[in-house]
Amino acid sequence: MTAPTWLRWAWIAPAGFLFAFMVVPLVSLAGQVLSPGTIEYVSDSLPWRVAGLATVQALASTAVSLVVGLPMANVLTRYRFPGRRWALALATVPFVLPTVVVALAFRSLVGSDLGSGFLIVVLAHAYLNMAVVVRIVGARWSTIDPRLDIAARTLGASRWTAFRTVTLPALGPAIASAAAIVFVFSFTSLGIVLLLGDSNTRTLESLVLRQTSILLNFQAAAVSAAIQAIVVGTVLWWAARTRNAIPRGALRTFRLRRPLGSARWAVGIVVAATVVIVLAPVSSLVWSSVRSSSGFTMSWWAIFAGFETIDAGSTRIGSPLSAMARSLSFALVTGLVAATVGGLAAMSVLAHRLGRAFALATALPLGISAATLGLATMLAYGRPPVDLRATGLLIPIAHALIAVPLVVAVATPTLRSTDARLVTVAATLGARPSRAWWTGYGPTLRTVMIAAGGLACAVSLGEFGAASFLARADGPTVPLVIARLLGRPGEASFGVAAAMAVVLVVMTTTLVAAVDRGGRRS
Amino acid sequence: MKRIPAVLGTGCLTSVLVLAACSSGASDTEPEAASTADLAGQTVQLLTHDSFALSDDVIADFEASTGVTLELVSGGDAGSMVAGAILAAGAPTADVIFGVDNTLVTRALDADVFEAYTSTEAQALRPELAERSFDGRVTPIDFGDVCINIDDTWFAAEGIAPPTTLDDLADPQYRDLLVVQDPGTSSPGLAFALSTVSRYGDGWVDYWQRLRENGVKVAGSWSDAYYGDFTFGGGGDRPIVVSYATSPPAEIVYAEGEPPEVPSTSVMTDGCYRQVEYAGILAGTDQPEAATLVIDWLLSPGVQADIPLNMFVFPARDGTALPEVFERFAPQVPDAEELSSEYIADNIDEILSEWGAVMGR
Repeated sequence: MTAPTWLRWAWIAPAGFLFAFMVVPLVSLAGQVLSPGTIEYVSDSLPWRVAGLATVQALASTAVSLVVGLPMANVLTRYRFPGRRWALALATVPFVLPTVVVALAFRSLVGSDLGSGFLIVVLAHAYLNMAVVVRIVGARWSTIDPRLDIAARTLGASRWTAFRTVTLPALGPAIASAAAIVFVFSFTSLGIVLLLGDSNTRTLESLVLRQTSILLNFQAAAVSAAIQAIVVGTVLWWAARTRNAIPRGALRTFRLRRPLGSARWAVGIVVAATVVIVLAPVSSLVWSSVRSSSGFTMSWWAIFAGFETIDAGSTRIGSPLSAMARSLSFALVTGLVAATVGGLAAMSVLAHRLGRAFALATALPLGISAATLGLATMLAYGRPPVDLRATGLLIPIAHALIAVPLVVAVATPTLRSTDARLVTVAATLGARPSRAWWTGYGPTLRTVMIAAGGLACAVSLGEFGAASFLARADGPTVPLVIARLLGRPGEASFGVAAAMAVVLVVMTTTLVAAVDRGGRRS
Repeated sequence: MKRIPAVLGTGCLTSVLVLAACSSGASDTEPEAASTADLAGQTVQLLTHDSFALSDDVIADFEASTGVTLELVSGGDAGSMVAGAILAAGAPTADVIFGVDNTLVTRALDADVFEAYTSTEAQALRPELAERSFDGRVTPIDFGDVCINIDDTWFAAEGIAPPTTLDDLADPQYRDLLVVQDPGTSSPGLAFALSTVSRYGDGWVDYWQRLRENGVKVAGSWSDAYYGDFTFGGGGDRPIVVSYATSPPAEIVYAEGEPPEVPSTSVMTDGCYRQVEYAGILAGTDQPEAATLVIDWLLSPGVQADIPLNMFVFPARDGTALPEVFERFAPQVPDAEELSSEYIADNIDEILSEWGAVMGR
């Protein structure tokens, strides 16, 4: 490929970002914690047993996420119908809901039947992560020429055979990407496992939390964290390999189709199912936000809007509205940084022989717990000699690190399948390298980057673990305020927390819908 | 005493003769209580956990009277904050830390997290707390109790007398009525488990076996238990929950509209576990004088009186007037259970794994 010169050096920016904000903090943390005695903890059976349990759980969660997410991806990214954008945005909502909120909402819906344990954890993970499948597979699915499928069926293939032999192989890399990420999220899950899990449904992440903040045994925690990072690294390496095994195609984003015949039914059923699945837990939140022990109330919303206060000028909760403004600005900066870093990383992956190794490196933050990342960032950049706290950038930086792997996962399969011959054609016609490259990749890149940036914004809106270390105590984000409210008794606490969670849902839906609109237009 | 505060190390090494003096007590070289005039314009950072809260006006008072700007730094939950402070020992992320509790304080002391300072206000502490300063390295600021809470309305409706002792909880009469939190993931859950260790000694495992046979439910977190399983807090079906001695007044303070005369929950005063929260100057701070002002301020009558309704714990300063809801509905447990911080540090691993074994978790 005739890549422009700047592209050959584009990897420096994302590599520098990852080095400065991931490698440096983590290596210095590890250097401080590890000692020759740490090796003894490796022979402890507990972390290995937990790793086994988490693997089974994560495989089940991934399977359910795919079963739920693939039909949604198909319908929401390929067919044209009224409200499509909103349905797509709605499917993204669960991904950003604070896990505490999801766990409580989930329990109030199915908890009495399922109690705690394996099944409800798997369902909750599928609920949270189906957006990953919809987003990543959908981005690829919309670039598959629908005529291929039609041609196969014209030649006598059944609907299933056509899907299996034409569509599925083309989707393979994207499905592998999505499955790997869902596996990783489920394998490293914390909040859901703490709230809904039992003795046999736990993760290394929950073990690390216990080892650091209750036992204060940093060496044992480092071993658990290392086992987790190795498993995650292996899974991501496998996904990167699967992605690379697929030859570059000649595909572009196709127009949305109008559903005809039986497709109308399929669209109707899937959209209805999406709305019901997403909104059932959300509606229980809405219900909690207007209910008190004495019946219907608007008090919680009045407190939220600032007409009444929940604490007499307390530093702890602050104004819910200012937390929203803060969360939104962090989200926008995160979206910009993650789309820039992740986009450059995805292009470098395409342009470089070492692309796969690089792709793997950009995915590594997925294997590191958000809380560890927050703690390491605080220790590296939250005190002299390098104190970045006053800049207000620590949270967006940590959130961008968490989001970059998603951006790369969304962008790479689609960019890879973009027709590189256009670049050659443009170059032949006399365009300078950059211009030629842009002619080939520009349109796809813009669509994909906007979608990925929106996802990064959403990640930032819902993120809790890193923010809890990096936020100023008197400058909490929305998930932090919700967690603080849920940490104390009194029905006002729960009511206002529910109201804020509802607002978080609305913010996310609106943001993602707006981003999708921008993406489609360009 | 083998640990020497890092800031004193160099001075001590200069002379073997003063070594004994240095290591026997840091009081000679403690930061002096500062005169405020020369500190005006400085910013001092206070590292706190997620549950920290004070009224904006007491913070404004501090800034107005000292000229020092107070910046609050969040360290996550209490355990994560202490973990972070230990990892940053000697080169801290803030100047003062608040909220290190008696469960974890030994670990922080062992890691030389604190720089000694005895506030002039310390003589106003409640007598039983005044002696708990670990050689002047930390200052008690507040205390509270983790206690069994009872949904009185539920028991009245069922016509059953509520339990009054830890032993009652294992009585078949109260089968399937109790929800506790996992001590491996929840701070009140850990406090309750420690309370049973303190009460029953070696028999604590048997006690949990009895609780298990009596249908105790284990939740992952306090909010999950209180809002999810407790009959009062949410739509749950368990009228007995591990919570705080101050949860009943919180019910009134955070009620919707006209608050009820009397809360519908109450506290079982047997088997409560005492938690004391400490503040300390972080060793290695470049603002030791301004940091002393923060400790003094935390112990001042204004802040101490502000603590109950913000953090729902009791002030450590003797004679601080309590809000009416505290006087009426938050019992001050005279004989709460407690284990020494040293004992916890040495045994917590074993306690958690034995608890996990007996509860099948």
